[in-house]
Amino acid sequence: MAEGRPPPNWVLLSLMLGAAAAWLTLDAVSVAANRIVPGTPHSALDVMNGWPALLLAVPMLAVAFLAWRPHDKGLRLSLAAVVALLTLLPLWLSAATSVLVTSDMPQARVAIGASLWLLLFLLLLALIELRTRLGLSRATAWLLLIPVVAGWWVALSLWLEPLALLREYQARSDQFIGALGTHLMLVGAAVAASLILAVLLVLAMRRHAGVRRVGFGVLNFLQTIPSLALFGLLLAPLAWLGARFDWLASIGVGGIGWAPAFLALLGYSLLPMVRNIHVALEEVDPAVIESAHGMGMSRRQVFLQVRLPLALPVVLEGLRITTVQAIGLTAVAALIGAGGLGTFIFQGLGQAAMDMVLLGALPIIALALLADALFGSLSECLRPGGAA
Amino acid sequence: MIELFDVTKRFGDETAVDGITLRIEKGELCVLVGTSGCGKSTTLRMVNRLIEHDGGEIHLDGQPVRSFDEVTLRRRIGYVIQSTGLFPHWTVARNIGLVPRLLKWPRARVRERVEELMRLLGLPVAEFADKYPRQLSGGQAQRVGVARALAADPDILLMDEPFGALDPITRETLQHELRELQARLHKTIVFVTHDMDEALSLADRLVVMHQGRIVQQGGPIELLHDPANAFVESLLGGMDRGLKEAALIKVGERMLPLGPRLLASERIAYGASLSQALSVMLWHQVDRLTVVDEEDIPIGELSLRRLLGARAS
Repeated sequence: MAEGRPPPNWVLLSLMLGAAAAWLTLDAVSVAANRIVPGTPHSALDVMNGWPALLLAVPMLAVAFLAWRPHDKGLRLSLAAVVALLTLLPLWLSAATSVLVTSDMPQARVAIGASLWLLLFLLLLALIELRTRLGLSRATAWLLLIPVVAGWWVALSLWLEPLALLREYQARSDQFIGALGTHLMLVGAAVAASLILAVLLVLAMRRHAGVRRVGFGVLNFLQTIPSLALFGLLLAPLAWLGARFDWLASIGVGGIGWAPAFLALLGYSLLPMVRNIHVALEEVDPAVIESAHGMGMSRRQVFLQVRLPLALPVVLEGLRITTVQAIGLTAVAALIGAGGLGTFIFQGLGQAAMDMVLLGALPIIALALLADALFGSLSECLRPGGAA
Repeated sequence: MIELFDVTKRFGDETAVDGITLRIEKGELCVLVGTSGCGKSTTLRMVNRLIEHDGGEIHLDGQPVRSFDEVTLRRRIGYVIQSTGLFPHWTVARNIGLVPRLLKWPRARVRERVEELMRLLGLPVAEFADKYPRQLSGGQAQRVGVARALAADPDILLMDEPFGALDPITRETLQHELRELQARLHKTIVFVTHDMDEALSLADRLVVMHQGRIVQQGGPIELLHDPANAFVESLLGGMDRGLKEAALIKVGERMLPLGPRLLASERIAYGASLSQALSVMLWHQVDRLTVVDEEDIPIGELSLRRLLGARAS
């Protein structure tokens, strides 16, 4: 490869060509007169004679072109183009809505179609690729998302009232807030409890080899039980407990509800948590520990000032994995009446209302991404100059 | 002063240290040397009780080490290891100030002491105080390691192959600095190494260990001249012993004042060793060198006869 002629960035190139192709061929939105009737699909080219769609396709092709000979300046331009596209999409959707929904359709619902979903997905992937190529920090990446979020927020609050997703939300906004709260509570409680239990367990494991063997054996076994089966297994003993002790029943312990969900989540969270904390503490450089003892630090000082701080980034990594996993698993807990965002998914599936499914699924994805980013940056902060 | 009386250490069935008796005087630099697994590191670690001895007694200034609380004991003894063991999450300054802080020195005094030590070890404070260990080169990191060990001004310094992981040039520089440091500080130093050249160049006294026992001990020249057995002889380099001894003697000790003859064209510094002088003679095929001082001014001459004659004395 000659200097100054970098090889094409195939990832970016195929992402953007795919995005443009999907955008111009697949259905972007579908409009239905009400919740019951099936919608009429429209491609992006159907809206306003296709001019806005073609205009939006220009930056996609431009980024693809720049990716053929990627250099730093081109990548920066591409980044600007991708952010602009993500910001402009809600505005296009607003325009499309105002054109396609006429005043004689007060109950009309606009659903986002395949091409728009695909476009959003591919653009986000392109954003991640560009961030990696340009070596942007986490903070910069968050700043880049501000205009995108602002664009969507403005469009949703001003012009996108007929959007089916929004209508589903408005019809049950109280229920949504409640479900979100339950979801967060379950995840938070399970993760917090598993963290405390895991710390105690690891401390015991470090003392006694026997506890370590048995502990890991049990946790590995727990992890292999499918989640629904575990809920089922917990049903009988908890129902018995609830029936036997009134005070337990009064706080909601029973075969279904929050108790089995919490216990199952706790069980699943324990293994990644214990494994990470254990590995984190064991993997600290033995030479560092030896010199800490040799300098005359007491056992307690060695643990609190050396071992623990050096282990913390890996512990947080465990916390991150566990939290993301718990956010996803809690969706299944809706099946046994524990509530949470999974409720919408299963209700929506039952009513064949895809927008309702999305109302549950999208926040779960967002929560998982948010938790991931949060713990990721926290662990980066706690990795001071040295510990890499 | 460190005294070991018939000290033994077993790991399971294996005897790592087998009845060692040894006395290290105050202000002495004693090097424990031997092949891997000969028990030299174990011996070192028994002094600060990172390893507890099974039999015999270890005394520090006449008191058994077991009579001290182990944490208190270790704070009185400097400890340097090969991989430095610096805390990666602490800055250089914080690493060096560790023991003074453990001893609850006032903050200002800790800072003062840290800066004093950084200057002593040639680490400019402004440049290095806030760096993290992974930003340092191997030589710099080991300087920090030595500074940390010296921080609370301990009488005793234990060094376990401290320069073993460094490149030869850095190693030689640090050995030189350690000699100068010792000339000023007069610590009691126990130094473990398997590098015989390092041992010969640093030691006031060499203790050769083999399979958990002391095979021979004495000054470097003494050992070179009179190895106790074939093992010590091979450890000392067999046929190279002559060169190793020559490496320990300075040109300045053997030169003659300038005579009436013309100056020899090839020069050698008076601080160089006889082995270096011999090498210069071999290279230029001459039998006479002009000895110069630091400013390159001739102060004497060294002939091959004189160089060889030095061995007899």
